[in-house]
Amino acid sequence: MPVLLTLLWPLERLNTGLLAVGRVIAVLALAIMVCLILGQIFWRYVLNDAPNWTEEAARFGMLWLVGLMAPLAYRQGGFVAIDIVERALPRIVAALLSLVLLGISLWVLLIAWDKGLNNHVDSLSGRGCSSSLRWPFGIEIGKCKAKFANQYQYAALWVGINLLILVNVELILRQVITVLGGGDRLKSLHHDAMAGAD
Amino acid sequence: MLIWFLPVFLVLILIGLPVVFALLAAPFGLLVMDDQSRQLSVLYRNLYNGMDSFPLMALPFFMLAGEIMNRGGITIRLVEFSQAIMGHLRGGLAQVNILSSILFAGLSGSAVADTSALGSTLIPAMEKNGYTRRFAAAITAASSVIGPIIPPSGIMIIYAYVMGESVAALFLAGIVPGILVGVGLMVMVRVMADRYDLPKAERIVVRGQTISTTEYWVSLILVRINLAGLFYAVAAAIPGNPGGWAVYLAMLVPAHFLLMYWRRQVSHDFRIVCKKAVAPLQTPIIILGGILIGVMTPTEASAVAVAYALVVSFAVLRSMTVKDLYQVLARSALSTSAVLLLVGAAVAFKTVVSLSHAPQILTDIILGLSENPLILLFLINILLFIVGMFLDAGPAIIILGPILGPIFVELGVHPVHFAIIMSVNLTVGLATPPMGLVLFVASTVSRERVETIARAILPFLAVEVLVIFLITYVPPISMTVPYLTDFIRCPPDTGFMACISPAPQ
Repeated sequence: MPVLLTLLWPLERLNTGLLAVGRVIAVLALAIMVCLILGQIFWRYVLNDAPNWTEEAARFGMLWLVGLMAPLAYRQGGFVAIDIVERALPRIVAALLSLVLLGISLWVLLIAWDKGLNNHVDSLSGRGCSSSLRWPFGIEIGKCKAKFANQYQYAALWVGINLLILVNVELILRQVITVLGGGDRLKSLHHDAMAGAD
Repeated sequence: MLIWFLPVFLVLILIGLPVVFALLAAPFGLLVMDDQSRQLSVLYRNLYNGMDSFPLMALPFFMLAGEIMNRGGITIRLVEFSQAIMGHLRGGLAQVNILSSILFAGLSGSAVADTSALGSTLIPAMEKNGYTRRFAAAITAASSVIGPIIPPSGIMIIYAYVMGESVAALFLAGIVPGILVGVGLMVMVRVMADRYDLPKAERIVVRGQTISTTEYWVSLILVRINLAGLFYAVAAAIPGNPGGWAVYLAMLVPAHFLLMYWRRQVSHDFRIVCKKAVAPLQTPIIILGGILIGVMTPTEASAVAVAYALVVSFAVLRSMTVKDLYQVLARSALSTSAVLLLVGAAVAFKTVVSLSHAPQILTDIILGLSENPLILLFLINILLFIVGMFLDAGPAIIILGPILGPIFVELGVHPVHFAIIMSVNLTVGLATPPMGLVLFVASTVSRERVETIARAILPFLAVEVLVIFLITYVPPISMTVPYLTDFIRCPPDTGFMACISPAPQ
């Protein structure tokens, strides 16, 4: 048990720190998305000149919002699941089942990690350049120069998968500690109530 | 081999794997076993592409607008307005609860937000007024399902996106069914009022109403603009009417005088209560107006709704601070991220649904049960109702839409009609035991046991089931509004019924 708690401690702090930063960026992304779409309407109807980059920039923000915020939602138990079986089982069996489910989740995430890196972010299309998004103030970076590389956008999901893996490992450690009877020594991770789309 | 993804998926979600992982785990596992590992990268790309969508952006924006409005103290305004309109009836506060839910539905589109916001205000008030706590919690939960049916609606945005339908058509198709659920519940309350001697409320609870100068002028202007718009729309139907700004400005004159006449007919408190509801209730008018006139896409309308909600909360009602805004943004981002990831996984899942030929196989199985679409619609409603008892509406729509949608379209059910049947049925499932999300929220808000609320809600559920069957078997109920507003595309010279109920393919 002390070994597991020692392993959990740095991971818990790492996740708390990373997800707190992600939360601030996601909040900014959401605010910027609203401004971009309002700007799009303003440009179209008031200035009679619809820009072609606002929509893509807003989607860019939305993807990063998901990548940075979904791991926090997962950590706080915000991913929808039917827990009726788990609740009906004896405590120890339910805890073991929960561990199996976390193992399946980790397997899915590891496949997504591999495919995301090798077949998406680091692919021909990932190395390509955005059609409409450009750096401001004449900045030029890498092969795409003034244009955004598609990788910047593709990386949103892959970064999210990385964070989800970290959270998943943390949840597995916590579950193992719970199975071994140390659940009362863990801090609760559930904070915000989430309504979802319902 | 690949067809096994469906049973595997069902087993995974039944044992409690989060739906988003189950949507990916079942296809991943079978593709690996079927030696089709190359398809895994296609699934990953579809997971990404599923989230990379402009129409889908309406979802976080509508959630944000609802959160801002909710934090901005509009709940009490809507409740007082509903009480001013319906409070004097027998079973007054129960009727107020239902009307508040209908009005709230135009702002938030979430049953959970509705139960939580209205429940915390109305359940204690109803208890104080002589209602039992279980009845108050039950009517709050039952009426809150109107939230995702009347636009804006989160689950309809998801359905429209996953199934490639028009968000606007679905929004418009939800208006009448949503109101019908509300009216049905009101009739049931009236019947129960006689039987159980439910108390009568006062027309206005809070006397000596006050209003700030800014809100007074904002309400005064908005009411005139809206009424003139209504007159303009009626006048537009008169042959030879030239239309244009001049006609609209002319309409402001009768609108002003009508309101001045009405002002003398009502009490000061009643007038102020109505004025205080004008700014919040402008939100659905902006959303639907923008979409109907064709000047905005649903996503743009949702962004405008956010801007409007901010202006109302900060400048008109002055009920929000910058700190509140950060919390509201964070809450919306958190809820949105889980939903959007789910939608991305659903799009990846849909790829496997097509690859496995599951719809064709299921079509054969379903048609083997009966070839009569009416019987099949009955059976599918039963299935949806059972699914809704265990799964929330959003995930259920994401999973079942791609599987069931094509089957019923082939049987001659219009895609928009089927979307409404699914949405209403699964939304009602939010208030059914054992896993009804709004039952849990109502229980938390009222501190009444879920089982007790589940028993008290049965008469209201009966009404909602009746409405589901009405919507199912009488397509014009949901389809007339989108048809008249030209949001359902049909070939020229197609009659109304042929358009909304096409022949089987």
